[in-house]
Amino acid sequence: MIKHLIGLGVLLAVGIAYPAIFPNNLTIAISVLLFAGWATSWDLLGGWNGQVSLGHASFVGLGAYFVAIGQSQFGLAPWWTMAMAAAFAAVLGYFWGQLTFSLRGPYFSLSTIAVAEILRLVAINEEWLTGGATGVFIATLPEPFGIDLFSRTAQFYMALAFAAMVIAIVIAISRGRFGYQLRAVREDEDSAMASGIDPTATKLKAFMLSAALTSIGGGIYGIVLAFIEPHVIFALLLSVQIALTAIIGGRGTIWGPAVGALVLVGAGEMFRTTFAEANMLIYGILILVVVLFLPRGIVGELARRHIRRLYAKRAQG
Amino acid sequence: MPNVLRADGITVKFGGVTAVNNVSLSLGSGEILGLIGPNGAGKTTLFNAVTGFAPMHSGRITLLDKDITTLPAFKRTRLGFGRTFQTERPFEELTVLENVLVAAFLTAGRRSEAERLAMGVLEQVGLADRAHQPALDLNLARRRRLELAKALAVKPKVIFLDEIMAGLNPPALREMIAFVRSLSAQGLAVLMVEHIMEAIIELSDHVIVLASGEKIAEGTPHQVTSDERVIEAYLGTD
Repeated sequence: MIKHLIGLGVLLAVGIAYPAIFPNNLTIAISVLLFAGWATSWDLLGGWNGQVSLGHASFVGLGAYFVAIGQSQFGLAPWWTMAMAAAFAAVLGYFWGQLTFSLRGPYFSLSTIAVAEILRLVAINEEWLTGGATGVFIATLPEPFGIDLFSRTAQFYMALAFAAMVIAIVIAISRGRFGYQLRAVREDEDSAMASGIDPTATKLKAFMLSAALTSIGGGIYGIVLAFIEPHVIFALLLSVQIALTAIIGGRGTIWGPAVGALVLVGAGEMFRTTFAEANMLIYGILILVVVLFLPRGIVGELARRHIRRLYAKRAQG
Repeated sequence: MPNVLRADGITVKFGGVTAVNNVSLSLGSGEILGLIGPNGAGKTTLFNAVTGFAPMHSGRITLLDKDITTLPAFKRTRLGFGRTFQTERPFEELTVLENVLVAAFLTAGRRSEAERLAMGVLEQVGLADRAHQPALDLNLARRRRLELAKALAVKPKVIFLDEIMAGLNPPALREMIAFVRSLSAQGLAVLMVEHIMEAIIELSDHVIVLASGEKIAEGTPHQVTSDERVIEAYLGTD
């Protein structure tokens, strides 16, 4: 617990100093932080609760569209529309979960792909609201306390606050009743019921929270992009990237998804600039290496070895 | 003795097959009821139907005079059922302590309170020194005791033990028998499915014998073991 809080402190300290030290590398850092937040949100459901979603782009897109449409059509400030998006995402998660959590195995995952696809079609066809296939453009934003939200520095701090908030929430959950309910349902639903846990209710709660948090990051992403197109924001690729980030970093661990974001997004960018065309190859090899040699993900594997070592030491002495 | 648990006319069907046919049982606090029968007699199915893990075709179940027939398994747990699984089902990625914490959180609101309850139960079953070991690493006898700890940590009024003696070596068996006796001495109602006759005879106040889904005999351990139909069911006729 203390360890994780120190980790959070380090993240915030490094984050706060970062724009002053690397003023020219803000865009990539914003990506890392948004992915860290999304993957950590995804992991509440996918890692801690074991329900793999391949549709989290839905919630990213909802957040982005709420902020963009709210601003451009109704003049609503992003903080209001982000809160609305979070509430809407939670409600969507609730109904979606009600429909699909009785499905076991890969069927839930498959159903999640469909939802992002439905939202993409809605966004393309409801042109009066969403601008259709052309998308929505954010031309103006309010300036709270004189802060220009179009500046990369302001966007960086928003992304930092988002990532830190989600990680803090997971730290708080992980040691308490809800955290253990999540893991128990992931491990064995019958055994969880024998401990008095309602598996469906637990999954619904995890899904609603995961969806709401993801959409808040989506709202920030909307501001960063300033221009939202349905086929980009509701893309299956984005859903897969979010899931992959958490899986590579370590499912069901507090820092795994954030580490995954640093490795995948950070390394991805480095490869792109250094190796040009060969970057996807190297990206692929990196994923393969992790999957083959670190099946629990980077942090998951480290944590497991640490626990084994601790236990071996205790057993000896 | 007032009944803690009553099950009347329990019938379970799988497709066209009647796995349990019109079986009734009742259990008072501190009482141990043994459920025996040859393989495939429907013991575990009956067990699962009463605990809510298998759908019932007909029958009625009450816990402390409250009708729980239609409640899902997790609600029965909340009202006072604790159960073990025949094949142990620990949460493998969690430590021994965390496994029990999951159950302890049912009644404990705070982490510290849940941890105290869980450690208490682990001490009771003799696993306290293994608390921080991954559950995956436990041997059979200890996995059994972890199952027991998980069932006890929900603070049950009735505990359902599904073949917890099977495969234990003689000293471990003696320990387990003594442990189950101590549970009933604390006032817990115990329903056990068991193949080990030694345990059934020593522990049970009352025994029900199932064969092909039917109740074929009922009584004290002595009465049922001398019952001809029981001997027939176990050994067959010429």
